[in-house]
Amino acid sequence: MFFHIVLERNMQLHPRYFGRNLRDNLVSKLMKDVEGTCSGRHGFVVAVTGIENIGKGLIRDGTGFVTFPVKYQCVVFRPFKGEILEAVVTMVNKMGFFAEAGPVQIFVSNHLIPDDMEFQSGDMPNYTTSDGSVKIQKDSEVRLKIIGTRVDATEIFCIGTIKDDFLGVINDPTTV
Amino acid sequence: MIEPYNKLVKLAARAFYDDLTSKGDNQPKTGRSDNRGIAVVVLDALTRRQWVREEDLAKDLKLHTKQLRRTLRFFEEEKIITRDHRRETAKGAKIYSAAVAATADATTGKEGEEKVKLHTHSYCCLDYAQIYDVVRYRLHRMKHKLKDELENKNTIQQYICPNCGKRYTAFDAPRLLSRNGEDFDCESCDGKLDVESDKLAAQEGGDGDGDENARRRRREKLKDMLQKMEVQLKPLIDQLGRVKDLPVPEFGSLQAWEARASAAGRAANGDNAGDSKSHLGYNGAPMPYSGDTKVVVDFNGTEGKGEGVKSETDSTSLKVLPPWMITSGMNLTKEQRGEVKQETKMDGTSTSTAAQYTDEKKSTIGHDDKNIQDEYIKAYYAALLKKQHELEEAAKNPQDANAADDPSSSTSIRKVGDKYKRKEDDDGTEWEEAPARGNGIGAYKVDLNVEADAPAEDDEDDIDWEEG
Repeated sequence: MFFHIVLERNMQLHPRYFGRNLRDNLVSKLMKDVEGTCSGRHGFVVAVTGIENIGKGLIRDGTGFVTFPVKYQCVVFRPFKGEILEAVVTMVNKMGFFAEAGPVQIFVSNHLIPDDMEFQSGDMPNYTTSDGSVKIQKDSEVRLKIIGTRVDATEIFCIGTIKDDFLGVINDPTTV
Repeated sequence: MIEPYNKLVKLAARAFYDDLTSKGDNQPKTGRSDNRGIAVVVLDALTRRQWVREEDLAKDLKLHTKQLRRTLRFFEEEKIITRDHRRETAKGAKIYSAAVAATADATTGKEGEEKVKLHTHSYCCLDYAQIYDVVRYRLHRMKHKLKDELENKNTIQQYICPNCGKRYTAFDAPRLLSRNGEDFDCESCDGKLDVESDKLAAQEGGDGDGDENARRRRREKLKDMLQKMEVQLKPLIDQLGRVKDLPVPEFGSLQAWEARASAAGRAANGDNAGDSKSHLGYNGAPMPYSGDTKVVVDFNGTEGKGEGVKSETDSTSLKVLPPWMITSGMNLTKEQRGEVKQETKMDGTSTSTAAQYTDEKKSTIGHDDKNIQDEYIKAYYAALLKKQHELEEAAKNPQDANAADDPSSSTSIRKVGDKYKRKEDDDGTEWEEAPARGNGIGAYKVDLNVEADAPAEDDEDDIDWEEG
């Protein structure tokens, strides 16, 4: 799920950036540092939308670096258990398939794939129904439900299922 | 108050632990030596006790200590009991025994040894609050597991490596992906991982039928299991409901319980005569009163009952008086008269019965009658002297008179023992009663004093006199 929240970070700036463009430099450094990262608590930072406040800089002893506490607004993405997402399949193997929903990777094990879909190996391994009507292969879009998240300090990984109602392939890449 | 909880424990034990064996995995389990269900016995025993030492429990249950410890360790892990391991001397263990004696009305109090070796004693006790929670959690998990399986949802796949047995979950999937991307490799041994399937919905051989049938059979099986579980566990669930609102019986830590129990025991025993050994015991707490010390002393070759502490101290503090110091009317004990070792010529039976009576009465009398006792004894001695004089004169007379005299004296003495039972009613003014009283209380001393006098003063063969 996406959130728009205020986060705080201490940015260290080299004196070469001081001057007229101090603030811009600071902001661009922040965006470079933070966008795309993931914290276990907030999830993935998708984009910085604005700077709320920049505090007074503190010169570090021994070096000339200055530390600014920056408060900024950003869009974050955090998956939750029970959430339903659309994802794109990245890899299929006989244990299940991997899919990505934006920055988060989700694994659907074959136990949670409907029983009527069988694995078929080949140069394009896929899961397909007995009558061939539904096929899950690389780059297919699927709707899945998150049944568990594993949150490390800097990484989030999810397990999903497509065995419930209204889940499964959204559109077939071959027909598109 | 504690009964519903005990019932809960018993139901839970029979429901969940009735196939637990206390044998190790390596030991052969033959038909003869299979002790499945011993866990139930252990739990039942614990419901009847509070804090108990494991050695004592093993002895009571006639179980090998190791097996009992294995079972108790299992229960500790299940959070059903709490254990406490203490290093103590034998004296400390004695405090515990005293505490148990106070709570369980046991009659033994062990005597401590004088060594200061520290052994580790283990104690265990049922933890009722946790039992309630544990049982509820277990039921919840059981139902949850069955329901999940039934609806085929939300179960996180588990993987196991056949080589090294290492287990993984689906969360580890990205790490486990092998180089070819085809399957999962074990991290340590690079073996291909196997999927760990649901144990409850065990596959039948009929997968060829079509998944439809297999699936339906699995569902049926699971539903069946769920239903059976609910029916069989109903009494346990009911008991849980009953127990829910009651306050939990709490025994506290081992130290607290011991202190409480021994204090209670001391209060209960404090009325009885006798002093407690009051030297410091374990942890500086005063040694609790652990029962009357019983001393068995041989009198006349017969075994007397345990006397009170009073008589023991009395006997040890008195010295043997030489015969020339003994004047009539002195209230002296047998030892003082020097009669400890002397064989009695009196018939064993009557004196022993008299002695038995007197022993019993002695312990129950207490200090109340002492004054009266003294008076009566004085009177009795006076009477005795008189009687002896009569006997001497009678001895000079023909034997029949002697015989006639003696039965009366013997009967009077015999009566004395009998009459003594009714001592409370008797006023003691009668001549017969007075010696009865005196005989009863100090009779022990008196009988033998009589005996001592007779040979001392009469060289005659006063067999009849002694028989009385």
